[in-house]
Parts: sequence; C-alpha cells; structure tokens
Amino acid sequence: MFGYLFKKIRYFSLKNKNECMLQNTKPGKNNSEPISPDLEKNLEVIKGILRDSSDVTTHEFNFGHDRKFKGALIFIDSLTDKAEIHKNILQPLMYDVLLLQNNVDMDFTKIDTIRKNLISTTDNLKVTLLSDLLDNLLAGAAILLINGSKEALVIKSEKRESRGIEEPGTESVVRGPREGFVENVKVNIALLRRKIKDTDLCIEKFVIGDKSKTDVYIVYIKSVANPKLIEEIRMRLKRIKIEAILESGYIEQFIEDNPYSIFPTISNSEKPDKVAAKILEGRAAILVDGTPFVLVAPMVFIESFQSVEDYYARPFFASVIRIIRFLSYIISTLGPAIYVALTVFHQELIPTQLLISIAEGRERVPFPAIMEAFLMLFAFDLLREAGVRLPKSVGQTVGIVGAIVLGQASVEAGLISPIMVIVVSSTAIASFAVPAQTDSGTILRYIYLALAGIAGGFGVIMGLLGTLLHLASLRSFGTPYLWPVVPLNFSGLKDVFIRMPLWAMSKRPKAIVWNDFDSNNQNPGLMPSPYKKDNIDSK
Amino acid sequence: MGKKMKLSNMKLISCFLMLFILSGCIGAREINDLEIVIGMGVDKDENPENILLTAQVVKATAGKASENESRGEDSKAFWNVSSRGNSVFDAVRQITHKTGNRLFISHNQAVIFGKDIAKEGLQEYIDFFLRAHEMRPTALILIAEDRASDVLNAKPETEKFPAVNIAKLIKTYGFTSNFYKVNMEDFASCLLNPTKAQLVPLVSIIQDGEYKDVYVSGMVVFKKGKMVSKLTHDDVRGLLWILGKVKSGVIIVPSPNEQGKAVLEIIKAKSKVTPEIKDGKIVMHIKIREESSLSEQTTSENLATNEAFEKIQEASAEVIRKEAMAAFNKSVELNADIFGFGEMLHKKYSKEWKTLKDNWDEIYPTIELNIDVETKIIKTDLLKKPASPSE
Amino acid sequence: MSIEKGKISSQQLLFLIAGFVQGSVLLIDFTVGLTEHQTWMVILAALAITTPVVLSYAVLAKRFPGMNLVQINDMVYGRFLGKVVSVYYIFFFLMTLSFNIRDVGELYTTFLMPDTPFVFLLVVFTATCTYAVTKGIEVLARISHLFVVTGIFILISTFIFLIDQMDFSKFLPFFELPFIRIFQGIHIVSMIPFGETVAFLIIMGCLNNTEHVVKNTFFGLLIGAVSLLIGAARNTAVLGRTQTIWTSPSFQSIRLIDIGTVLTRMDFLIGIGQTILIFLKCSLFFYVLVVAISQLLGLKSYLPLVLPLAAIEVIIAATVYQSPVDHTMITQNAGIIYSTPLVFIIPPLSLLIAKIRGLPKSERGKGT
Repeated sequence: MFGYLFKKIRYFSLKNKNECMLQNTKPGKNNSEPISPDLEKNLEVIKGILRDSSDVTTHEFNFGHDRKFKGALIFIDSLTDKAEIHKNILQPLMYDVLLLQNNVDMDFTKIDTIRKNLISTTDNLKVTLLSDLLDNLLAGAAILLINGSKEALVIKSEKRESRGIEEPGTESVVRGPREGFVENVKVNIALLRRKIKDTDLCIEKFVIGDKSKTDVYIVYIKSVANPKLIEEIRMRLKRIKIEAILESGYIEQFIEDNPYSIFPTISNSEKPDKVAAKILEGRAAILVDGTPFVLVAPMVFIESFQSVEDYYARPFFASVIRIIRFLSYIISTLGPAIYVALTVFHQELIPTQLLISIAEGRERVPFPAIMEAFLMLFAFDLLREAGVRLPKSVGQTVGIVGAIVLGQASVEAGLISPIMVIVVSSTAIASFAVPAQTDSGTILRYIYLALAGIAGGFGVIMGLLGTLLHLASLRSFGTPYLWPVVPLNFSGLKDVFIRMPLWAMSKRPKAIVWNDFDSNNQNPGLMPSPYKKDNIDSK
Repeated sequence: MGKKMKLSNMKLISCFLMLFILSGCIGAREINDLEIVIGMGVDKDENPENILLTAQVVKATAGKASENESRGEDSKAFWNVSSRGNSVFDAVRQITHKTGNRLFISHNQAVIFGKDIAKEGLQEYIDFFLRAHEMRPTALILIAEDRASDVLNAKPETEKFPAVNIAKLIKTYGFTSNFYKVNMEDFASCLLNPTKAQLVPLVSIIQDGEYKDVYVSGMVVFKKGKMVSKLTHDDVRGLLWILGKVKSGVIIVPSPNEQGKAVLEIIKAKSKVTPEIKDGKIVMHIKIREESSLSEQTTSENLATNEAFEKIQEASAEVIRKEAMAAFNKSVELNADIFGFGEMLHKKYSKEWKTLKDNWDEIYPTIELNIDVETKIIKTDLLKKPASPSE
Repeated sequence: MSIEKGKISSQQLLFLIAGFVQGSVLLIDFTVGLTEHQTWMVILAALAITTPVVLSYAVLAKRFPGMNLVQINDMVYGRFLGKVVSVYYIFFFLMTLSFNIRDVGELYTTFLMPDTPFVFLLVVFTATCTYAVTKGIEVLARISHLFVVTGIFILISTFIFLIDQMDFSKFLPFFELPFIRIFQGIHIVSMIPFGETVAFLIIMGCLNNTEHVVKNTFFGLLIGAVSLLIGAARNTAVLGRTQTIWTSPSFQSIRLIDIGTVLTRMDFLIGIGQTILIFLKCSLFFYVLVVAISQLLGLKSYLPLVLPLAAIEVIIAATVYQSPVDHTMITQNAGIIYSTPLVFIIPPLSLLIAKIRGLPKSERGKGT
C-alpha cells in the first residue's frame, strides 16, 4: 500500500518537475518585469495590459504637506469597496495630520513608510513585480503606486456580493445545523474554523487556473491527517494546468484516482458539519472559491450511505435507516433488472398467483418486457431531468403530466403493464434515498437491465460480480474504496450496516488515518452509566 | 504499457458487447406468450398404444372475465387442452399444435393419472415428470377414480381453477388425516424402495345435482409401481397412526354413561416404531402417543371430570388401536408393505435384512404388531360443563 | 523475481481456500452416486486423509517464502526435471479449470436457463473470470471473504428452510456399502475439492507473511469441509434414496423448499451461491494457470497470456465432454487417477528433498 503510494508520489513529483521546467522555458504571457519608479510609465503600461477596460479606475493624486508627492490608486470599481478606499486609503493619504505638518521628516516615496504610518487597513502587502500587481488588481485589491518607488502597495479592499448562509438545497436535514456553505470561500473557511477550533487545523492555499486564478484551499488537521495523503493532494493539485476552475467538479475530475470509473472517488458536500466531521476523521477538504460544494478526499463507498443525521439521531433508528438505505440502493440498481430476468427468463421462480396476475396485466402489452422497462426508465429519467431544470412552478406541472400521462394513461391504453409501473416507480423512489450514488446508480440500472434482458439472472450475476471486482480494485487516495468491508476491518464495521453508539466508536477509521490509527479520538468508557441512586438521594 | 493495457481492455469490451448484441435474447420468453399449465391429466387413449394428455392452461384474460361474464360469454378462467401421443413427452409436444406455444409446466400444481394408467403401472409414465427440468418436485401426484380429464373439467364453485382446487384439497389433509399429500419427490423415493408399497391419493367425482364435486375418496396402493387396491379413509388414518403422521382429525367414542357420544379433536400425535427380531420372528413395537381436546359431546352428563376423561381416553386408545390394526390387516391382505416396515428393519438390522429382503413378500404377513397407545385429553375448549341443568 | 507484485495476507489465504473448497459443493454429486447416504462419512474421511497433505503444501510455502510452485520445482528437481514437473502441473490446472468452467455451463443449461446457448454462457463466464484475473490476486483475495460468507449463509439458510422435510433416519444404516465404493468415494472427494488446493502452491508465493500459513490453511480447509458436510448432510436428510437418481441432489433438495407458499421456488439461492463460488474457484485456477505458464516461460507479466488462455479454456470446456454422463465417468475414473501424484506425491516429495538438500538456505546465500 505504501509502496504504491510512494511510487505514485515519485512519479507525480518527477512529472511536476518536468512541467515546471517547461513552464520556465516558455515565454511568460504576463510581463514579469519590475515596477519602474516612474509613475506615468507604470500607469501607461498597466492601462495597456488591461486594454483600457472601462471599469478600471485610476485615481492620480498629490499628497504631502506641500503636495509634492505624486501617487496613483488603481482599482477595478466593480470588485472593490469604494467607501473603504475613500475612508482608509485616500483620506489618510491626503488629510492625515502627519502630512499636513511640514516638520515631519518622512520619505513618502517609500512604500513602507506609507504602509506603516498612514494606511489604516490591515490586509495589505508590498509587490515589486508587475505581474503580482496585476494578479492582485484583478482579484479586487486597490493598488497604490507612488512616484519614485519601485514598489507598489496592494491594499485588499475587495467587496464581494455574497449570498447569506442558507440551508443547503441538496442535503436537508430534520435534525442538525441548517447552515450551508456559500460561494465565498472565505466564509466557508470561517464556517469550518468555527467548528474546529484547533491549532492544528491547517489551511493551505493554491491558485489554480491560468485565467480564472481561482483560490483553492486544502483544509486538514495536521496531527490527524496522514502527511502522505496531504502531500499526494498537493502534488495532484499542482499538476493541474487549466485555463479556468469554475466549480469544484473541475478539480475533482483532475485529481481523482480512476477517471474511467462510474463511481465517484471524491465526495462533496455543502454542509460544514459534515465536512468538519470528515476532517476530524483525518480526511482533507478541498475548498474552491466560487462554489458551495466542498470536496473531501479520500472517499469510501460506505460514506454514500452515511448521513450526518445518523450521528445526531440515536443509534437504533439510525441503524434502521442505514439498512433501508442499503436496501434502497439495491432496489434502485437491480429492481427493473430482476423484474425482467424473472418475467422473461425465470418464470418458474415467481409464485403461481403472482405469475398469473402478471400475465393478466401484460396481456395487451405489445412490447417485450425489456423494451417496456427501458421505455419507462427513460421516461422517468426524462421527467426527473425536466423537473430539475425547469422553474419550480412549471416543474410541478411536468410532474403531474408525467404521472397521469405515463402512469395512468399508458396503463389504460395497454402500452405498459401496471406491474412495470410499480417496479419503475419504486425504483425511482429508492434511487433518491442515496443521493451520493444517484449517478452511478442510474448508469448501473441501465447496465443491469440490459444484462438481464440478454442473459437473465446469469447476466445479472455476472454484472454484479464485475461491479464488485471493479469496486474492490478502486482506491481513493490510497484508501480501498470498499473499506471496511473489503478488505475486512472489524473495528471499521461499527459504522457500516449499523451505527454503533458514539461512545463505542472510539477509534478513527484505520484506513484513512494511517500514521496514528491507534490514537483515540475520544476516551473509551464514555458509555453513559445509569445514575447512582445515592447521587440523587444524598441531597 | 499503460496504453497497451487500455487497448486490450477496449478489445475485450468490444468483443463482449458484440457477443451480447449478436446473441440477442436467446431463451427469452415473454410472460404473455407462456401457456401456464396448472394441472395435467394422463389417461389411456382408446388406442392402447397412445395416451391422452390433458393440460389445464391459464387464460390470461381471466382478469377480464368479470366483464365477459356480464355479456354471457364463456367465463372459464382455464382451458383444458388435450392431445394424444405415444409417450407423455410426445403428447406434450403434440399439444403445441393446438396452443401455438410450448407448455410451461413449472407451475403445474398436480399431475392426475387415470385409473387405467395406474393399473398398468406408473413407472413408465412418471419418468417425464421427474426428468423435465421445468417440473417441480413439489407438484402433487394423484389418481383419478375414473378418467383424469373429467376431474380437470369439474369446475369448482369458489376456486377459479380445478387443478388449484384439487391441490388445495390435498394440502389440507391435516384436518382429517384421512389421506396424505404425495408429491413427485415422495413418489420417486417410494419407487426406489424395493419393498415399500406406494400410496397415492385418489380423487373421485360425485354428481351433486347439476354440479360435479371433486373429493378425495381415499388412497391407492401401488406395489412395484402398479395399482393393486384402494385404502379407505379409516385405513389411511390407521396407517398414519403407526407412522406418527396424524396431524388432526376426529375420534368419536361412546360417552362413559353409554348415552350419546364424546367427540375428540386430535391435537398432537406421535409414534415410535421399534423393530425387533426375536428368534426369527419379527415384532414391531409401536408406541402411539396422542393428545386431544374434547370438542363436542352429545350427552347431558358432564364429561369434563377426571373419571370421565380416563374412560374416554381408554376408549379412544382402543379406537386408535383398532384403526391401526385394521390398516395392518388390510396391508397383510394385500401383502403390501405400506408402512415401510422393511425400511425400518433395514436401518436397524442391516445384516439380517440382506437375507430378509429377497423373500419379503413371504415374511411380511408374519410380522407381529405390538401396539401401545396412550391418549390424553388436554383441554375442553370453551365449556367447562355442557349447557344442561346439572344434577 | 516474481510475476505478481500484489501481496495477500494469510488471513485472506484462509478465505481463499475456504471459498475454493466451497466452490465444489455441487461436485460432491460425483460421489453421491457411489456413496449414497454415507457421503458425509466419506467427506470426513477424505478430510482426515488430505489434511496432512494440504498442510505439507503450507509447510513447503513456508520453506520457500515468496516463491511459487514453478520456482520451487526448478529449485528442487533441477532445471530440466523441474520444468517437466511444472508442465505436468500446468496440464492439470488447464484441464481442471476447463472442467469447472463447464460445470457452470451445465448448471445453467440443465437447471436455470436451458434455452440459452452453452457456449454463450461459457464465454460470458470466462470473460468475467478474465476480468478478475487481470485485476490480480489482491483484488480476489480482498473479496474472498464476501464469497465465503455468502456461501455459508446460503448453505445454512437452505438447511434451515428444509429442516421440517429432513428425516435423519435416512442416514441409517451407518455401514452398509461395500468398502470398495467407499474407498472410491474417498478418493474422489480427497482429489476434487480438497486435493485441488494444490493450486494454492502458486498463490502462496504472494503471501506477505508466512508465519501463520499452516494454521490458516488448515482452518480454510476446515471451513470448506464443513460447508461440504452441511451440503451433503442436507441432501441425504432431505432426499435419502432419491439423491442417487437426480443429476444434482443439491439442486433438487433446494427445489423442495416449500414453507407457507411464500418461501418457495428458492432455486435462485443455489444459482447465486454456486455461481459466485465457482467463479472464485475458476478465477483462482485461471490465475494459477497464467502465472504458472508465464513463470515457466520466464515472462515479466502474465497479462499477455490471459486472453489467449481464456479462449483456449472456453474451447476445451465446450468440447471436452459429450454429456454430463461422460463428465461423471471421466471424472470418476480417469480424472482423479492422473492427478493423484500431483496432489499426494510430488509436494511431500519436494518437501522431503528440500529438507535433505537444505535448499532454501542455499537460495538465501545466492540471494544476498
């Protein structure tokens, strides 16, 4: 396992080096020349590079007590907070007491002097290269240029329209926090920080995308997460050479282990509590600016069947629900396939009365069962897709039309047998119970159906064996995908088919936390004991 | 290397896809194209070389039968289709000339043989039903008093299908223990036994006004696959007492004061048969343990007392002993080992059995039975006393 | 220099052996015709006879850690004779694999899907095995416990479903059959389910730790034998005499399940169980075959051999027997004779020679 990872890492590191070397030899697109002391020249160059965009505001001004210093403030007015610029940059620069007195002996051509004495915003930095200056400018900072200085001051004063923290649309809960991630990555990091107030919580920043320059953060707990895992994620992130990252899905597709698999090997979530829980287990979260969907790696298959609510509810009901989820995944992938295999190939396995009712229901149906199943499944997926994309009010109409036209009318017209409608609709309902595997489930459903139509039960068993082999060979960042079932790990099984009480799960998942899996994340023996009578009586 | 792997994977996948698509849905049969057979009857044809096979096929339109009925159409949910053939399988295939589809016999509930077939010997006709992969070993086997096709034609009042009705009749044998269920597997197992006689339930038709009612009138005794005689209801219960397979039933004994009767319901019955060879004589020690409840009494005297119970128990033990002996005497008369005593001896005295088995027919009538019956009345149902003025 | 880079733990070896032996549950039917109601005894006797031999494989693997059968043969018998012995083994693997693949085809064409073409079933099944083999022994080893648990679950559940139809007096009388038939039965059982574990001499080369290999081999064999025993006892108790006439007693007894008209028609249970267990067995055999051949030919990877060998296997499986009758006759008479030396003589002999010549030591000297 380690050897495999080492090899991968070495391979990627070598590959990376090569790419870096390539990068260096290529002529840079942005000029990486230094800033010149001549303000006019600088302004001209910058304007030239920005192609005179109309939203770039350049404010030139003089300051100092006899107005002998020249400066310019450049910012993109759509990205910056103008009020803050006026209050914290322009006002101090032009009207500060220090500048109005003539006896102050300060060299205001030095950026450091200005930064330390005048500017009252906290988030600012010095740059010397034109390319850095431009990067920051485009990210929403205001740039202060002083005539005679080879440096520029970048003042982060970006203003960002952000959605309020709302309940996420994809993962709603009955019990549990209602907050969800938003598009602003800063807010998202804050949400995570509030959950884990630990000095070991590391947040590493990457900027990915030649044009989009998207901020990507890896968040993990240094003392818990496997350093090799973090190194691996770093390597894979650094590899990405792409114009733009618009959503975390871009990152996912570039760093996943097996791009040819229909199963996702990196999970995503909109819920801070869920992501925090996974980080605490030793996983690493990847936050991407501009999307509320946070990636978490590594992912195991079982995670798809776990919901945050399982841990907030008491263990008994949580276990029942979890078993129902497993069953519903089986129904959603195998339901139509088993129906077709039974009715077309293995009629002897259907109880007599049921067989007679099925035969009666199918009496006028002109299509073979496999065709019927495909048509119905197609209609269902069509309806679902249409319902998702349409505005909510129209979506309802689609639902009603679908239910009446497809369900009732087609049965009455004798095009579809009533039992097929039952099979497909129960499949459809079941497929929503495991949201994380809906994609793979849909594909598998069609594959199994085709196998069942061609080779009956034999085809389905072969399909299942193939799927099992594929799943068993998958890995997500070194963690076996079917862990802890394959390979078998008994302490891991506490949280698979049933959810043991929290006090009984004292160890972190062994496959994820490789380096110190022996360390407990809680003390054992926290099982609540019944009150001692003395405690109450002694009052 | 990686590229090569991918290429061979692609090749494999495309081969696989082609195989699937080209082979198509071979072996697929749509459910509405099936001729679902729920019962079969085998009779001798007028031509002694041939047999007449009757198959009861489900009409898929049965669900709509209620609509048809109002229009006065034929409302039968089944179709009895028959054909002639040299052998059973031949006839099964000849039927396709009438049905247009192969028969689907996995849901066959019962196979009924006509009496003339039974007399000739079932061995040669049963082979198909054991061998055909669609046939299930749980299908029942029955003998018709007269012709099997008539039994399949007698439309029952409550059930839609005659064959299902007959299967239901057989499966509820436990209420009286006057016959028992015999399926393909049981019959095959008996056929394999060189000494044991086989029993198969017998169905008859009685004309009741304009309706024909099918009922189970007893069991047929086969010796070496050939029908030799019939057993009455009481004989069969005697047999089941010895085998310990009585499930329930009614025992009627005179009440202790000789006025009226006490009617007992059998709740539980067990038996243990221990064969013994003593000085060359074979004795079967049979211990029967029975528990019953007082279900009815036709006398005003309170029978729910320990004294009365004791007398009733004795009387019922006597009834059981008599039934068992009657069954044994009948079997001796037929010289047919319906109990499987030979098998029991074989299990206990496997060495002696080697010499016994060759002239079992001579030995069987000499077997002695030593029956020990113990009965208990364990409840009186809802009444503590009869509804009559107490003295 | 080993072909397989994957490593398996000795716990996984336990499950592999158990699943491998379980995969022969249906093959017990070969003996039932001979040994009737005494089959359970035959299984126990065969287990007792075979256990020391199978354990000698484990000891051999322990003596030559990280080496497979072909390498051991080369070392023990020398270049030339070692190759001859290895070719003999490869022939055995080739034939046994094709027989097992054919069994799947027969299972389906006789009981479950009689209208489906035989070759189609064989090709699809072999293709799935091929997929498994290309994934390597690690993946198979990792999922083996799922197969074993499923197999045991199906055996036990069918046993419980049939318990009211069982008559344990059908095991009587205990000793009745002539000894020669019992002996023949013991020979078949010790060869087919148990003796075939000689294939594990190739797989044991992938063990990451040979410390507990003997113990785990024994328990694997025991789990497999208990499964066979449950199956054989179930068939005898349910069917009794008739088990000698059915093509497959196991199938017949499961077709008899009829509880409250709901738990009935459970044929799919044995269909699923048998398919996955034979799948495990065939994949292991196939893996063993390709590794043995590529080791013999000195290849760096076994992957190029997988597809051609799969094609050869399908052709052999499709043509080797004319009918199940042929199959039974050949297995009962010829099959177990030619494989006897491979199972019972050569491995213990290798162990003996290795001990006399003190072989692994010289290898260690060479290696360092």
